Amino acid sequence: MATMDFQDMLGKIKDRQWALADIDWDAPGAETLTPEQHARLKPFMSDLMWIENVGARGFAAMAKKAPDETLREIYRYFHAEEQKHANAELALMRRWGMLDGDEIPQPNINVKLVIDFLDKYADDMSLSFLGTVIPMLEVALDGALVKFIMDEIEDPVCQQAFRHINADESRHLAVDFAVMDVLGHAEMRKLLIELVGGWVKPTFLIGVLSYMPLLNKMRDNIVAMGVDEQKLYSALERYRKVGERSEFARRLPMYQIVKLHGTWVVDRGHPYHLLADTLVKVTGRIPRRLLRKDPTWSKEITYTPAA
Amino acid sequence: MTTTSTAPLDVAVIGAGFAGIGAAIRLRQQGITNFAVFERGAAIGGTWRDNTYPGAACDIPSRLYSYSFAPNPNWSHTYSGSGEILGYIESMVAKSGIGSHIRLRHNITGMTFDEDTGLWDISIAGADAVHARAVVLASGPLTEPGYPDIPGLDTFTGHTIHSARWDHDYDFAGKRVAVIGTGASAVQIIPELVEKAAAVKVFQRTPGWVLPRVNRRTGALAKELYRHMPGAETLARQAWFYGHESVALGVVWNTPFTRLVEMVGRAQLRRQVADPWLRRQLTPDFRAGCKRLLMTDDYYPALQRDNCTLITWPIARIAPEGIRTAEGIEHRADCIVFATGFDVSKTGTPLPVTGRDGRVLGDEWRRGAFAYRSVTVSGYPNLFLTFGPNSGPGHNSALVYMESRIDYLVQAIGIILDRDLRILEVRRERQDRYNAAIQRRLGATTWNSGCRSWYLTEDGFNATMYPGFATQYRNQLRRVDLDDYTVVAREPAIARRVAPVA
Repeated sequence: MATMDFQDMLGKIKDRQWALADIDWDAPGAETLTPEQHARLKPFMSDLMWIENVGARGFAAMAKKAPDETLREIYRYFHAEEQKHANAELALMRRWGMLDGDEIPQPNINVKLVIDFLDKYADDMSLSFLGTVIPMLEVALDGALVKFIMDEIEDPVCQQAFRHINADESRHLAVDFAVMDVLGHAEMRKLLIELVGGWVKPTFLIGVLSYMPLLNKMRDNIVAMGVDEQKLYSALERYRKVGERSEFARRLPMYQIVKLHGTWVVDRGHPYHLLADTLVKVTGRIPRRLLRKDPTWSKEITYTPAA
Repeated sequence: MTTTSTAPLDVAVIGAGFAGIGAAIRLRQQGITNFAVFERGAAIGGTWRDNTYPGAACDIPSRLYSYSFAPNPNWSHTYSGSGEILGYIESMVAKSGIGSHIRLRHNITGMTFDEDTGLWDISIAGADAVHARAVVLASGPLTEPGYPDIPGLDTFTGHTIHSARWDHDYDFAGKRVAVIGTGASAVQIIPELVEKAAAVKVFQRTPGWVLPRVNRRTGALAKELYRHMPGAETLARQAWFYGHESVALGVVWNTPFTRLVEMVGRAQLRRQVADPWLRRQLTPDFRAGCKRLLMTDDYYPALQRDNCTLITWPIARIAPEGIRTAEGIEHRADCIVFATGFDVSKTGTPLPVTGRDGRVLGDEWRRGAFAYRSVTVSGYPNLFLTFGPNSGPGHNSALVYMESRIDYLVQAIGIILDRDLRILEVRRERQDRYNAAIQRRLGATTWNSGCRSWYLTEDGFNATMYPGFATQYRNQLRRVDLDDYTVVAREPAIARRVAPVA
């Protein structure tokens, strides 16, 4: 894998900024959505919008950990871009008449648990941890779900918005994997210390228990939308395939663990699913009042292009 | 050489800010009277003339942010506002009688040293050139307003104001105001703006360390005491001086004391900001002292007012109606306030300076400025800088440092005139040795600990700050050691040709 020129990438990111105001949210085409799609799309879009926030919070933590100013700046942009995606998705929901007044739809419980976890603990996690887990979430969730929307929804405004989102995401992934490659250059001793140091934290277990049911829950959502779950699995495979291209990314113990987990997820016959599906059921019963209040940053989501 | 209409000056002082005025007063006190102070503006005062934005104040106590040779018992508060400081500068001019030496609206456009005569040939826009045996370059670093490098800056159709060129006629009532920058001037402006404007959006790139500032009114009794017992004022000044000196242990060097300073900053943040995300956004990710410390009690409360929003998204561009940030939203504004500081040149000179053998100071400084003890530069005889390289304090009053430089250069100029020298020029090897030591010592300071600041060049070279205590700085400038200098006397013929007016 060729080493990335991060300064050059930062220049590209800055050059390719787009704004909600660049899109005419009232342009014709909203009527192409069938009533059936409309009904199914609302919970799907809410989850997608909140998953963007999972990425956003992850990048916010990575900006604090980045080893140099260029990468810090890149992550600051990525953090903002994930928020932009959430804003654009909210604007689409509004365009499609899915919002009741100024309502901000709530995420499903598993997304909420992951957001809570990241908000509380991500700043204390090492870059090698965040740098291997966040790409998996991006590839698996963002990638699969965005692809699904582009394949299924004809609305030209939606297509335009998701073309922008897709272009941003491909830069996010390029950087994600380039950073994994860089992280993999570290001494094995350091990598192992970080691995052990990360896993022995009790809080990390909470993270694992939040993360495991998330993928299975999203698989359930995709199936509920009438889509082949294989789309999610292909996206998970992508993490493995791209990661394998770099001998240095392969050295990351955490990469190996996340990859192994991915192979379990795509194998529906694997006993892992007994645990993960049970966790989906258990977490589904957690009363919302027991969860933490939404962090204040999550209230910054807006569908208005100008404020 | 350009012809001149008058006989050469003994000294030309360029700039009538704090430094130029201070140098002029000290020159006069030493009996040197054939000098002129050239000021490009229409009034004296430099930074304090230009920075009149609401809330403008100094974050060093006035007792210490003043010259020891011009005490002022009348400071109204511990920390003074810009108006009072400007008043102090004007009162110094009035009391010292140097007003007649000041030439306003005289913009120096360049200067060249003539080795044969030992004179500086000084060009002035729209006026005859002048000659001087010595030049004091007292143009400050905080002169030119600095604007951020943001695309679309010229496309904004609303009103724009820079903190260093405040528009006092603009009425903020009912307006949506965007403030770009969160540095020393921004934290003073924002609390004032939230009182007046309908909505204030503060665009932050990197948060700074904010420390409490206890600003008390000076009582009438204390003023009386200072008036009648100057010793008491000197004592108070000394107390402030050594108090600030002790802060160097944490602010100048990256030591356990730095953590202590950060603890105070964190405690201030916890005390004043309840929301964890806002606190996170306001927590710096660099060592305290690496960038200028911010001293204010009003900033955090102002940010949390209902009509104020902190925006930390990167700015993508400025659009005709507002500021577009990377989260895709255009933040509409009627007025943009640029509290983005100054265009501080760390590599050039404020005006073209040509030294011996045609060398150009700006070219030599291209990769980072250097000088000897921040006052003299080899190759540029009889030239003295008041804001030379590595002259900045991070923990103490800039005026203490300035006073040391002024006393040193007045001493040197006294030598030039007394011994009738053609050339007083620092030896290159002394200068190199000095700078090697300075750069080595800077390695252990907070300024070089990894953040980006106006102290450093793009390459990370620190040509701005002095890595030590103010006491050390003062001691090194206590006496002009002629062993450091090449000294060449004027030949009688030249001396006759350029003899100053009696």
